[in-house]
Amino acid sequence: MLSAQERAHIAQVWDLIAGHEAQFGAELLLRLFTVYPSTKVYFPHLSACQDATQLLSHGQRMLAAVGAAVRHMDNLRAALSPLADLHALVLRVDPANFPLLIQCFHVVLASHLQDEFTVQMQAAWDKFLTGVAVVLTEKYR
Amino acid sequence: MGHFTEEDKATITSLWGKVNVEDAGGETLGRLLVVYPWTQRFFDSFGNLSSASAIMGNPKVKAHGKKVLTSLGDAIKHLDDLKGTFAQLSELHCDKLHVDPENFRLLGNVLVTVLAIHFGKEFTPEVQASWQKMVTAVASALSSRYH
Repeated sequence: MLSAQERAHIAQVWDLIAGHEAQFGAELLLRLFTVYPSTKVYFPHLSACQDATQLLSHGQRMLAAVGAAVRHMDNLRAALSPLADLHALVLRVDPANFPLLIQCFHVVLASHLQDEFTVQMQAAWDKFLTGVAVVLTEKYR
Repeated sequence: MGHFTEEDKATITSLWGKVNVEDAGGETLGRLLVVYPWTQRFFDSFGNLSSASAIMGNPKVKAHGKKVLTSLGDAIKHLDDLKGTFAQLSELHCDKLHVDPENFRLLGNVLVTVLAIHFGKEFTPEVQASWQKMVTAVASALSSRYH
């Protein structure tokens, strides 16, 4: 459950990302592949050539989904249902990988926002992304 | 666990040289206690941990954070023998402090975010990779004597 303050911090963080989804998403993926090379197995074409255009395109798609989650913080299950189906039936990304992506998300935010990335924002955002990961893996079995 | 290339060592050492251990220590431990509040279970004697600002301003948190990062800084001089370097501390954390090693992983990750805040664009994916390797190896060394 998210408190009103947490919701505010989450929205605050999103305001800083909005408009830069592609750039953020691309850097997120780049960090994921560099820091945790085993995650590349889930992105065979993307991670092999690391083509900037493709990274931006896929990054944009992922961050757009995060944006949708932000807009529906109160009902993640309904909003993310199609994505949950996709992850359960098609992608089947092992749940252990989501904390790795979340860590990279924090680092992207931290390195860009620096001191603007307050402890309250980090706490709320970590709670939020963890909730998103739970929903995305909920239908696995 | 944790084979460091010469590049990793250079990256880790040069970045650490620019870190204010006192500030970073307080920031890191403070953020751990706020972002993962269950970690507060080890710090009942630290006084006021009732809010984010209380935690971040708490002098005992700052002092302990500095202690932890000072120890990490010493370990950076012995990257090829982290297990040996942390043997005694590992026993301490198991036998006396009863700390779940998962907490070492959480702290390590928070330290990486604090470094990213401090260094901004300089904290590239490659630099992050070296540092995640570092904190993973430290966590592993600290849990190596658990029994």
